[in-house]
Amino acid sequence: MKAARFDYIRPASVGDAIASLGSTGAKPVSGGQSLGPMLNLRLARPSVLVDLARLSDLRAVRESDGGVHFGAAITHAEFEDAIHPDPTNGILSKVASGIAYRAVRNRGTIGGSLAHADPAADWPTVLLALGASVEIMGPRGKRTSTIDDLIRGAFETSLDADEIITSVFVPRLSSGARWAYVKSCRKVGEFAESMCAILVDPANGVSRIVIGAIERKQIIGNTREAVSDPDWAINALAAAGLGDDPATNRLHRATIARAIHDLQLEGADA
Amino acid sequence: MTAVTLILNGTPVTADIEPRTHLGDFVREDMLLTATHLGCEHGVCGACTVLIDGAPARSCIAYPVALDGCQVTTLEGLADDPVMAQLRDAFSEHHALQCGYCTPGMLIMARDIVLRLPGASEETIRDQLAGNLCRCTGYMGIVKAIETVAASRLGLAPVVTRGLRGPDRPVDPFLKSTGQLAAPTPTAEPASPVAATVALEPLVNPVELSQSFTVPAEPDVVFALFQDPARVIACLPGARLSEPSEGKTLKAELAIKLGPISATFAGKGTLSSDPVTRSGVIDGRGEDSRSATRVRARLSYTVASDAPGTTRVTANVAYVLQGPLAQISRGSIARDLANRMTESFAKNLAASLTSGNAQPDATQAPLDAGGMVLTLIKSWIARLFGRSSG
Amino acid sequence: MTVHSPLPSKGIGASVRRKEDDRLTRGRGRFVGDMKFPGQLEAAFVRSTVAHGLIRAIHIPASIKAQAFTHADMVGVKDILARTGLPGFRVSEQPSLATGKVRFVGEPIVMVLAASRAEAEDLAESISVDYEELPANVDMLDAVKPGATLVHDHWSANVFLESYFEHGFDADGLARLDAAPIKVTREIRTSRQCMSPLEGKGCIAQFDRHTEQLTLWTSTQMPHIVRTGLSDVLGIDHRKIRVVAPDVGGGFGWKGLLQPEEVCCAWASLKLDRPIKWLEDRREHLIAAANCREHHYQVTAYADADGHLLGLDALAHVDAGSYSVYPFSACLEGAQVVSNLPGPYNLPAYRCRAYSVCTNKPPIVPYRGVARTGVCTTMEWLMDAIAREAGIDAREVRLRNLVSAGQMPFRSITGKDFDGGDYPESLRRAAEMIGHDAIRLRQASPEPDGRKIGLGYAIYCEQGGHGTSVYSGWGIPMVPGIEQAAARLTPDGTLELRIGNQSHGQSMETTLAQIANEVLGIDPGLVNLIHGDTAMTPYSTGTWGSRSAIVAGGAVATACEKLGERIIRIGAHLLQEKPEAVRIAGGEVVCGAKSVTFREIAATWYLKPQNLPADVDPDGLELTAGYKAKADTGTFSYATHAALVAVTPDTGNVEILDYVIVEDGGTLINPAVVDGQIYGGTAQGIGTALYEEMTYDGHGTPLASTLADYLLPGANEVPHMRVAHMETPSPITRFGQKGIGEGGAIAPPAAIGNAINDALAGLGVELSVSPMSPKRIRDAVLAAERGNA
Repeated sequence: MKAARFDYIRPASVGDAIASLGSTGAKPVSGGQSLGPMLNLRLARPSVLVDLARLSDLRAVRESDGGVHFGAAITHAEFEDAIHPDPTNGILSKVASGIAYRAVRNRGTIGGSLAHADPAADWPTVLLALGASVEIMGPRGKRTSTIDDLIRGAFETSLDADEIITSVFVPRLSSGARWAYVKSCRKVGEFAESMCAILVDPANGVSRIVIGAIERKQIIGNTREAVSDPDWAINALAAAGLGDDPATNRLHRATIARAIHDLQLEGADA
Repeated sequence: MTAVTLILNGTPVTADIEPRTHLGDFVREDMLLTATHLGCEHGVCGACTVLIDGAPARSCIAYPVALDGCQVTTLEGLADDPVMAQLRDAFSEHHALQCGYCTPGMLIMARDIVLRLPGASEETIRDQLAGNLCRCTGYMGIVKAIETVAASRLGLAPVVTRGLRGPDRPVDPFLKSTGQLAAPTPTAEPASPVAATVALEPLVNPVELSQSFTVPAEPDVVFALFQDPARVIACLPGARLSEPSEGKTLKAELAIKLGPISATFAGKGTLSSDPVTRSGVIDGRGEDSRSATRVRARLSYTVASDAPGTTRVTANVAYVLQGPLAQISRGSIARDLANRMTESFAKNLAASLTSGNAQPDATQAPLDAGGMVLTLIKSWIARLFGRSSG
Repeated sequence: MTVHSPLPSKGIGASVRRKEDDRLTRGRGRFVGDMKFPGQLEAAFVRSTVAHGLIRAIHIPASIKAQAFTHADMVGVKDILARTGLPGFRVSEQPSLATGKVRFVGEPIVMVLAASRAEAEDLAESISVDYEELPANVDMLDAVKPGATLVHDHWSANVFLESYFEHGFDADGLARLDAAPIKVTREIRTSRQCMSPLEGKGCIAQFDRHTEQLTLWTSTQMPHIVRTGLSDVLGIDHRKIRVVAPDVGGGFGWKGLLQPEEVCCAWASLKLDRPIKWLEDRREHLIAAANCREHHYQVTAYADADGHLLGLDALAHVDAGSYSVYPFSACLEGAQVVSNLPGPYNLPAYRCRAYSVCTNKPPIVPYRGVARTGVCTTMEWLMDAIAREAGIDAREVRLRNLVSAGQMPFRSITGKDFDGGDYPESLRRAAEMIGHDAIRLRQASPEPDGRKIGLGYAIYCEQGGHGTSVYSGWGIPMVPGIEQAAARLTPDGTLELRIGNQSHGQSMETTLAQIANEVLGIDPGLVNLIHGDTAMTPYSTGTWGSRSAIVAGGAVATACEKLGERIIRIGAHLLQEKPEAVRIAGGEVVCGAKSVTFREIAATWYLKPQNLPADVDPDGLELTAGYKAKADTGTFSYATHAALVAVTPDTGNVEILDYVIVEDGGTLINPAVVDGQIYGGTAQGIGTALYEEMTYDGHGTPLASTLADYLLPGANEVPHMRVAHMETPSPITRFGQKGIGEGGAIAPPAAIGNAINDALAGLGVELSVSPMSPKRIRDAVLAAERGNA
């Protein structure tokens, strides 16, 4: 199938982009790796695409004591190849290398992934676990949001139609931080059917576990509880209204158990 | 059409291109460069892989209009490339192709692998090839051929390309297309009027769910509200009456939105009720004309007194969805989201009742990802796009 | 001049590089989508969104009436009919555009033409169809129940054909079976699949005023049959139709039929006098062409206490979809289920009833390994069930039942004539290669990572290149006969071969050049194969049924031999020797130390006839010759597949740790090409085993319209395979070659399924549905746990 007609604007600045997004049916696009298929299948039918991929403000990387601000248009391949400062000791690179395929990673961006808010995508779950936040620009100026506040549900964010994510801030992990990330996919590069990310960073008071790929907003919990209570996962899924199918539960439990196992192999005192 | 200049296989090319034309179609149809093959046009199979600013990318989900000033290289443009020559030779030597349809995309990906990962192992190569499907060879020859060339580069410095991005390329300030967005869409002939459905057809194999909730009003008040199509519809996120209703039939639209996808189901319905049992049925059917997807839905309700001054509403929803938007895999998300839709309806109903006669905001935006129809689309999207992002 | 080339052979048995590769690795192939004609229009189809319904109205905006066509416009175009000669077969009439009724989601209703596909799709969106829906027959087992809504109103039941075979089930036989110490009964299901060649179907139709011919360039496996079918349906003489298959991007059976869209494009090109192009996109393919492999078996195997088979009793259903496709019909699959279920085993008693069921799904088309994937899966899963029941190893129970080398040539219980080989030996070798005994030892203790490992075997035989006597019994529109090839020595001494078969990835340009080399000594690089063009090649039923190497190979050999006789006569004259004194070697005619090249001989014939002998045969250096097999019952290649898997019970994930194939394909013309066919077929079989499945909702709506829903195995999902060959020449073919094109796709679901069940046997789990997806495995493990609790 071929895409339905749309118009195209490449704004010169973030301000222009926001102004362009004010028109009815306008839709921002960055790497376009999720939007492109939907355009071709005529499922997405924007009146106009506003291209953010080349905005220099969205390409900047700024390091501070507390962490690193990554421009929203930084690609997965750039993370994979670790060409920018990394506050996570390699976590970002490792995660990026598992997103889809290299040809997709060359164009897909971190900001686009967050704005798309696919519950089975890697970045939302991982950045939730890392305690990241985003900077958002809109007609009313700049605001900052945690990823937790940004993501409301599957494919649903708190972004207004004329707001864009300009950067993602990833806080610096302490040297004692421990990490585990497990996802289960039927095929390499395909969508995950279950995923779990765990960050334990005692120096920063963090002990976070995130369950993703559950076709609703990710579940965020406390790692200590997850480790000490064998029924934690089941209860958390049930509380989220996802307790129906035993076979699906079994997969989530297995993924969470493996993540906890990997974390303990890392020597963490959860 | 938009004037775009690409450096195509090393030569600047300027062309008027519709924004919707993807790069694969552009090089094949307009430039007659047919090495680039289209296998799925939704970014999965990899047959259309080309180099954009030196890095492999799917040409079926890249649009020339967004690539102004970029370098695009197809297999034809690598005819004299020494690494490609080595790969061509290895592909033939190891019988890495049969029908040859995936081969151009495979070779372009292979070139990136051997350049980026000299000495790559079989396991690494298989992993790196995940995005390029071959239906003939079982990958044995392909993997072996790439392994051989990668091995020959062992010790050489990796050559990593990611494609140039943003500021390192001159930007045409506020490039705006002159696309013919307003191209006239032929208008459908007026359909012959169809008599309002009287007897309710049974729904075959519907998706069913039910919810029960209380609202702060007397049963008679609640039941009365259900007899007023304008107020009922106003409680449904994204719905509006398309013309005034006389109370027994209605014409309405339901707009739904899921990320970048939106659909508008226009249709009609009938209302029937029994004041004695304070129950009723609202039955409707509609179609999203652009996607030719049809929905039939039925809301059966009963209202009964609960605690003093409150009423318990029991709502059973059943629906059937058919057409392109239904041609998807379904997941556990359905019930969750359909319940959210009902929850939202209950909330609006309560608001409508507590604020006296004031109706909920009739112009409210469709509940993002809140429509029942979306529950079906959503898991499909998860499958389709869960792999990628941004 | 030396005539014996020291160079390695380029003939039979040599893994020469493919002649096709240079153009294809440069992206210089020409596929139908690469072709473009001035003034061409592209087609998009409005397709049914309901599985079963009456068309009440089609609303086409007045402004596009000249670009949108329905069945009513196609006056005089006949329905596509694929009858059979089998008693009781019900005939379906398939209109190229639906009229009155739609019978599956995706059935074309309106053809819309515009300058580009995108514009055609824009216009198609403005057309709407009103349906009165009918209950859809989604599950074949429901479709045959009394009271099911009929797919074809004038039929008495939703059944194309009931096939039946019985031997040894008389009263005595039944009594014996009743007393059998081992009886295993299973219900086995294989899911509906979509063949998914990477290139979809596509065609361009154009009327050529000069030749007064309608030319259809189409992505097909059988140009001559498409021509015959078009001639019937359009009512136009064959002489006015030319069908050309350019490079074809894989077929696997999907390109072996006359398609309604081809008829529509051909009709429109005549009507509008414009080239009409249609390319099937992936979404269309997945929705409208999910068309194979859906079987259901209710089956009981009887064995003695030592695991010797005593009998097999089966009831099979094949979901044949809504129409009988031209030319293979809706019965091929079901009939082959009956005749092939016993596989390569000694079986004293056998009974099978198979229904080819008509449902509201796309019509079934024979996919690589037609029917045999389902029957091999069923038989091999049963063999493992017997082994478990008898407490005998899976390898051993097979060795006790396989047809042995000493029984060859062997006639099976259903009358299949096995042409030779040593089936038990292929199993023994496979077991050795995969390390059977070491695996059994390893299974005695738990894996350190908690996974369960399992070993599975599957053996099959693949009838290939079978001909007239087999197909005439079915009476389908196309019965293969004598295959022909044309050979022409050109004036410069190079060779043109023309065959009616069609290569769509099978390397025939190379392997047939190797056969020419074997016969004439000519370098394969000097041989050009012309195929896929009805105007230039002898009639052929095309490429299907693992037949091309046998029949096209045989025909090319015959043509080259006859051409060689003529070359020798002229060569002998030029050498001033008697024909008996000279021979052909290395592309020359040789006598002792003297030789004359083909080039000199050809130049003499064409350009210097004054140098020819006075009594020269005027038939020249161009001829058409035919090949008739010594027996047309087909070759029987066979193989053992052995799979070692690791299963994670908690996730249901399966990893194939090792995969071994021991194949007997007879004489190998090009071993690398044969290996390629085996690897590729096996990869598709892995898709069948673990990934590929078209699911439908209760209304018959297909639920996988993208490759993110319908999973094709990638490089990670297909393991490194190890192949070993036994080469028992077939006594009935020209060089002893056997058909091997389909075999790889037959055994993997059987072998992998057995391996998974072996791995999970300790948990009390036995799966009997393919694909064995992680979800199905988790469900089965959970069910077993509940049962054990």
